[in-house]
Amino acid sequence: MIMPREVELLGATFPALVPAFLIAGIIMLALDRTFAISGLYRRVWYPSLFRFALFVCLFCGMGLVIY
Amino acid sequence: MIGAQAITDFRAAWRDWAKADAPRFGYLAKVLIACLGAMWISILFDMGQPRTAMVTVAIVMQSHSGMVLAKSYYRLIGTVAGVLAALLLVGLFAQERVPFLASMAIWIGICTAGSVILRNHQSYAFVLAGYTLCIVGLPAASQPDRAFDIAADRVSEIMIGLLCATLVSELVFPKRIGSVMLDSARRRFSDFSVMVASSSPDDAGYRSALMKLMGDIFSLEAFRASSVLESDDSRSYRLRLGRMNAEFMEATTAFHALGNLLQRQRRSGLNATADALSGIYRKIGEVLMPGGLPAANEREAAEAAARLSTLRAGLDAELAAARKGADREKIDFDVGADLLGRLLDDLMAYARTYAALSRKRNDAEAPSLGVHFDPLAVALAGMRGALMLAIMASIWIYAEWGSGIEAVTLGVVSSTLFATSPSPARTIRQFLMGALIGTAFAYWTNFHLLNQAQGFVMLALAVAPGIAMAAWLTTRPEGAVVGAGFFIVFLMHLGFGSAYSADPAAFMNDVIADIFAIALSGVLYALIDLGGSRWTRRRTVQRLKSLVIGACREPMPLRREKLEIGARDLVYRSGSIRRIADEEDRIVIEWLLHALEIGHAVIALRELVEQGGDRESQRLVRGALESVALFFESPSEKRRLAALRALEAAFFGHDGASDAAGRKVRLHLHFMKVAIQDQDSVVSKEEAA
Repeated sequence: MIMPREVELLGATFPALVPAFLIAGIIMLALDRTFAISGLYRRVWYPSLFRFALFVCLFCGMGLVIY
Repeated sequence: MIGAQAITDFRAAWRDWAKADAPRFGYLAKVLIACLGAMWISILFDMGQPRTAMVTVAIVMQSHSGMVLAKSYYRLIGTVAGVLAALLLVGLFAQERVPFLASMAIWIGICTAGSVILRNHQSYAFVLAGYTLCIVGLPAASQPDRAFDIAADRVSEIMIGLLCATLVSELVFPKRIGSVMLDSARRRFSDFSVMVASSSPDDAGYRSALMKLMGDIFSLEAFRASSVLESDDSRSYRLRLGRMNAEFMEATTAFHALGNLLQRQRRSGLNATADALSGIYRKIGEVLMPGGLPAANEREAAEAAARLSTLRAGLDAELAAARKGADREKIDFDVGADLLGRLLDDLMAYARTYAALSRKRNDAEAPSLGVHFDPLAVALAGMRGALMLAIMASIWIYAEWGSGIEAVTLGVVSSTLFATSPSPARTIRQFLMGALIGTAFAYWTNFHLLNQAQGFVMLALAVAPGIAMAAWLTTRPEGAVVGAGFFIVFLMHLGFGSAYSADPAAFMNDVIADIFAIALSGVLYALIDLGGSRWTRRRTVQRLKSLVIGACREPMPLRREKLEIGARDLVYRSGSIRRIADEEDRIVIEWLLHALEIGHAVIALRELVEQGGDRESQRLVRGALESVALFFESPSEKRRLAALRALEAAFFGHDGASDAAGRKVRLHLHFMKVAIQDQDSVVSKEEAA
């Protein structure tokens, strides 16, 4: 599936990565909440690194779909 | 043996260093990495002004990652709002500079006012929305066809700065607020225990300690607000900390009311009653600190709570025994006994919440702090921001000043950024000092280091000393503002965009503009001083009084927490808690405590009477409260006597009542009577003056 590389908003074009970033952020927030409640973060060695890596995976995954 | 001694010495020194200085170096490393990272990315993407990204890092960097996240989040919101406003204004009046600057002044005024109303990072978002308009709007207005590009560039640079700052603070030696909060909650409980146990409440020595503890309430609240974004500790934990805050406030009020009551009893010669009450009071202290040590963790707090509840169970019997030893007027003893019961209940609730702090179940709901402010002070702060812009902009236009944009921007930044600081005039002096040091460093960097630098590594080496120096200054509490001034001015003057572009003449012009702008905003702060002036204190006291009057007159009885939080917030905003050493500020605090004492009694009385009382008692109590409200409106001997008479009448009106509610009503009436009678209270002092 090929996604458009640029999106248009109010007459200005943005790279499609911008909405991808936002969507990844929203998904991340939801995941973060569930992980925090389920106590997963207490089992992870370095929680902040884990969170960051998770976000990178989400965002890059979306980027791969776009390009 | 000397060798062994040396080793232990060395170990102790090492431990000290690791505890006090190592975090500082860690922080320094974090700032350097984040700042240089932001610079590298901006240069990589060929941004016009890498320094915007670096300034962003400088502004949001803090030692706790939750604070950085919160600040970044609000900085993003503030920036976006400011940029949108800038684009709108440029679109509307790019050709007409007078309406353009006038609407800018209005926007900045509104934003500054908003920043004074809100707390912490929300307030900061408003400040940013205000001055981002300057940063983006002024250059954009001079080249309207590029306005959108300038705006987009600025937002991207700020985003880069924010990402670098948050990533570095999350990934490199992260420090959590959660643990800091737990530490300070623990420390406060034990400090309060020590105070309850060691001071007898009938001497006034405990006051300054109490006030320091009270100042903590709001700083802990600030931490709590920032920890929302550090999501690996649970929500219920934060709720419980908030609950603890509220319970702590109630306990301090009860403690203070009891202390005042005992002092008044001694002054009016009721020594036997006061002795009997302090005898029982001392038991609370013993129970809180068995063996002279306060509870240090949750488990010990649970034990303390259990001991408190056994004491509470036996309290009535002990009170009955002690009542015999009291003076003939038993009502004075009963009032004190009621307060003792309240203090015990509050302490018990406080200790229980503390004990449950790390339990997993979610059962506590904290009352929110709400927003309380003085509209006139807010309006004045807004006016100051707008006025600053108007003055700078007119100088800029009429003098055709080359560095006008620079001057306007920094002037607005400095005149809005410190609007919430407790004594802005001093803050701005420190900021100016920082700016001077920063300028010197920037000069040295620009004209001795940068012109020899080739490639990114050398560029990084050239700017690193300045950054490290500024970051080091900000780690010290007394140098924080100096460091901020240093950092901002140093980075703003770094002489490179996408290429080396430092020019001594332009540099000197900008420096003069900066210093002029900061000095002018210092003058404005001194002229419109909302922090330390006598006028502000009078306003605060007036508003405290009107809280009491409202408690007396409003058709629905106020909620207790509302009164408590409202009064404290007012005083906190006026900054008096943070300048406790000052005599006049102490009067404000005295007022706070007095207003709380009377206000609580009024609320309790109204709750009792309006739920259960008959017509006659309602009429009497309402009359008494009205006369108390009149007395607080403008204290005078005549009104005091009228209030006392009305309270007396209501008191005797309930003489026949033998049920529990009737007795309680009498206790509260008597308590208010004693408080108003007091010749040493703040109201009496004001009356005398």
